[in-house]
Amino acid sequence: MNHRLTDGGQVMHVSTLARVEGEGAMHIELRDGRVTDVQLRIYEPPRFYEAFLRGRAWTEPPDITARICGICPVAYQMSACWAIEDACGVSVPEAIRLMRRLLYCGEWIESHALHVFLLHAPDFLGYDGAIDLAADHPSVVEIGLRLKKAGNQLMTVVGGRSIHPINVRVGGFHRMPLTSELRALRPVLEQAREDALATVRLVSGFDFPEMEQPYEYVALRPEAGYPIEEGRVVTSEGNGFEVRDFPAHIDEFQVPHSHALHARLDGGARGPYVVGPLARYTLNHDRLGDLAAEAAREAGLGAVCRNPFRSIVVRAVELVEAVSEALRIIDGWSDGVPPSVPVPPCAGEGFGASEAPRGILFHRYVLDDDGTIRDAQIVPPTSQNQAGVEADLRALVETWVDLDDHALQHRCEHAIRNYDPCISCATHFLDLTVDRS
Amino acid sequence: MTGVTLVVGLGSPDRGDDGVGPAVAHAVATGLTRHTGVLVRTHEDPTALLDLWEGHDHVVVIDAVVTGEPAGTLRRIDVGADAPPLPAGTWAETGSAGTHAFGLAATVELSRALHRLPSHVVVVGVEAECLDLGASLSPPVAAAVADAADLVWSEVTADVPGRAG
Repeated sequence: MNHRLTDGGQVMHVSTLARVEGEGAMHIELRDGRVTDVQLRIYEPPRFYEAFLRGRAWTEPPDITARICGICPVAYQMSACWAIEDACGVSVPEAIRLMRRLLYCGEWIESHALHVFLLHAPDFLGYDGAIDLAADHPSVVEIGLRLKKAGNQLMTVVGGRSIHPINVRVGGFHRMPLTSELRALRPVLEQAREDALATVRLVSGFDFPEMEQPYEYVALRPEAGYPIEEGRVVTSEGNGFEVRDFPAHIDEFQVPHSHALHARLDGGARGPYVVGPLARYTLNHDRLGDLAAEAAREAGLGAVCRNPFRSIVVRAVELVEAVSEALRIIDGWSDGVPPSVPVPPCAGEGFGASEAPRGILFHRYVLDDDGTIRDAQIVPPTSQNQAGVEADLRALVETWVDLDDHALQHRCEHAIRNYDPCISCATHFLDLTVDRS
Repeated sequence: MTGVTLVVGLGSPDRGDDGVGPAVAHAVATGLTRHTGVLVRTHEDPTALLDLWEGHDHVVVIDAVVTGEPAGTLRRIDVGADAPPLPAGTWAETGSAGTHAFGLAATVELSRALHRLPSHVVVVGVEAECLDLGASLSPPVAAAVADAADLVWSEVTADVPGRAG
């Protein structure tokens, strides 16, 4: 919906954003070719998860917080486990970390395939949605559905089911999958590897609007490998810190137009920061496996990627990495690993972070000596990226102000989808209005 | 084709009357000893149908619907490949929403576009009253479960080409 204002200004408003996870709106006001206001309005109601975690037992966050999202429940489970284990002074063995990474690969495959093929590709190929795209290009959509299914199967074998896995517990897993069950996934994952490579070839051929954004990128960086289930926080400006120092560097604050808290890094003095695939890739491309690194090179990705529209290429490269990692872990797995280690309750504060498909997901818990949760804090990636999305919209509208309203609105919505926003997670978030003068 | 009729109860038992699909599927499953050639499944995610109904030519899906009719009212809708496409108004919005919101109608039309829609798909809709998280079935919907199961059975036993006897 577009309005001309009596003062000559113009408002562009999209009241319900399409192809984003959850409910939100966009409102932009223009006067004399300059953007005077941009609001990513997240009106999905607050969900109060942090409040009702208080008083619960230390063993419960992996199952409770998984319910925040049907797309990235593993991210919630993993960050919760790390934080509770940190509070209780427990470190899990390497084998449990590896099984967590394998489960997480399933979630990345499922989530990235859904976003690339059902939500984002229609923008580049000129379709309103996946159903219209499927009518003309069924083989393209079939690639995405096969990848999603492969991710689901991996999550089912490791997590017990594909949505809201039930096999995760503080300290590890209720049951370790058998080597035979894991190796049975090999044919599915080998096909997924071919499909992921085809996805990189497909999306790297899309036309990308020219746009470079100067944000400080923030991602995890583990001791080895590409960041998925753990790591230390690093930034593109060299301002790295330990996960336990996250609250000292990143503070959340409320804005009137969003039910999701915004976040700023080190007081916001260096402008918006961004988490997610572009940050992960830019800060960790040297950690990609050989196949994903080669796919990135062939797709034309350099050492740094600052065009938000090319996030779809990075997601495709990350699909290759996730499938390759899953195969690597499965091939090296042996039966006989204890599924979990004891995590006795302990008074203290714990911190955990992992790389959800959309970026860093941080958890913090304060426990009593009997393990009762006294305080909980959850900082999801979409909340952290709101300021970056709004800055992208501001730059984009001023650059393409000569486009007609329909084309400009479409480009704005496309720009929001670059971030694969998960509003349902962020409210624990879209609708567009442009006001021109 | 398997020749097996697939019955799918869609919905979440944790969301009030949204749980009527699984409830009816369970009621149908209890009568399975009387018949062969029937597979009963439940699922929360409509997009799972894309894979669930692969290889089946005859499918009955039970789902909660909201049309403004009194709670518990039953509705039968043919949506298979042999039936006309659903009007765009029934799926355009959810089909272009996030995947959290991808509904049954959008899944049917995506399957049709991909030539994956079984020939005979019947949706048995049960009018819902309460879809609150944590609620159980409302009394009028709970009372309609048996009649809905009977309607599913009549579809299962209908003379459909390709179905196993």
